[in-house]
Amino acid sequence: MSARHLGLLAALQVAALPAAAEWAVDPGKSAIRFSGVQVGVPFTGRFERFKAAADFDPAKPEAGHALVLIDLASARTGDVQRDQALPQKDWFDVKTAGEARFEATRFVDKGQGDYAAIGTLTIRGTSRPVTLPFHLTLDGGTAHATGRVGLVRTEFGVGQGAWASGQGVALDVGVEVDIVATAQPASGN
Amino acid sequence: MAILLHWASALCVLVLIGLGLTMTHAALAPLRQFQLYQWHKSVGITVLVLTVLRVLWRLTHRPPPLPAGMPARERRAAAAAHHLLYLLLVGLPLTGWAVVSLSPFNIPTVLYGLVPWPHLPLAGFVPDPAAAEGILKRIHALGAWSLAALLAVHVAAALRHHLRLRDDVLRRMLPGRPLSPTPTVEPTR
Repeated sequence: MSARHLGLLAALQVAALPAAAEWAVDPGKSAIRFSGVQVGVPFTGRFERFKAAADFDPAKPEAGHALVLIDLASARTGDVQRDQALPQKDWFDVKTAGEARFEATRFVDKGQGDYAAIGTLTIRGTSRPVTLPFHLTLDGGTAHATGRVGLVRTEFGVGQGAWASGQGVALDVGVEVDIVATAQPASGN
Repeated sequence: MAILLHWASALCVLVLIGLGLTMTHAALAPLRQFQLYQWHKSVGITVLVLTVLRVLWRLTHRPPPLPAGMPARERRAAAAAHHLLYLLLVGLPLTGWAVVSLSPFNIPTVLYGLVPWPHLPLAGFVPDPAAAEGILKRIHALGAWSLAALLAVHVAAALRHHLRLRDDVLRRMLPGRPLSPTPTVEPTR
């Protein structure tokens, strides 16, 4: 499955070759966090494993592409009970669909370093259009992007049965990205 | 050891009755109610473990004899009450554990926030988990009231032995006494 995604990623990069620049995300310096509210108390967590790559040229953002694959089984919130619940079938159901996938098909320049990544987010097999606004700082060959998007978890089926209401766990959740990437030398293939 | 296990169980049972009544009857903030349920689960499993240890100890060690002059009717009553106590001390945690395991909320149990504890694997055997959960909840509540009532009888009987019959039935269960069931013979003067 991940091999297929990587193949797709390569295909996307090839398709976007003429103007785009390739970026390799540094997982050690990057983080994807999430936040929610359980029984009235906010909590935060992070996905410890994810893969991401982008084709992005600030001069031609509309031609860009990005693909982010998140291992949902790597969600950690610092609470053993919550971390045990999250992979189960009411929540991320990692046995059936272990990966969340965000594919941005274009970027929009909002000015002053602000951009929006426009694409599709897939969780638990449900795909929905999602726009991720982010701020980008470029420093030589290094790019740093920070952004946040609010999601309604039940639109993706996260929280089944008794959890489909917001009574115990709020329906609104946040996802924050803090991505550091380095420019890749143009490859021949 | 039997004395230590007895008083540890006693303390846990009192805490459980207090938690159980508060979490089901008091008007609490959702977070507080959630926390009390988690404590109730942890202490309940503790009682289950303690009771299993007590039964194993009891099966391998002869308890001190009842007072010599005790009428046969009272001996039978005492034996019946003690058997019923053990039955409830095993049955209540098991029914509670089953309720947690069948709950549509499917909340993992993490003992004292540290030790993950599995659900009972009941899902495959129970055709209607919601109905089964309802019935088990009723049995659990009924059992809890029975235990509280039996506990009152147990305490009253112990006090009767101590205050009216003036034997050592209560005293020998108090900590800090030699474990030997027979009192040491005092030297003749």
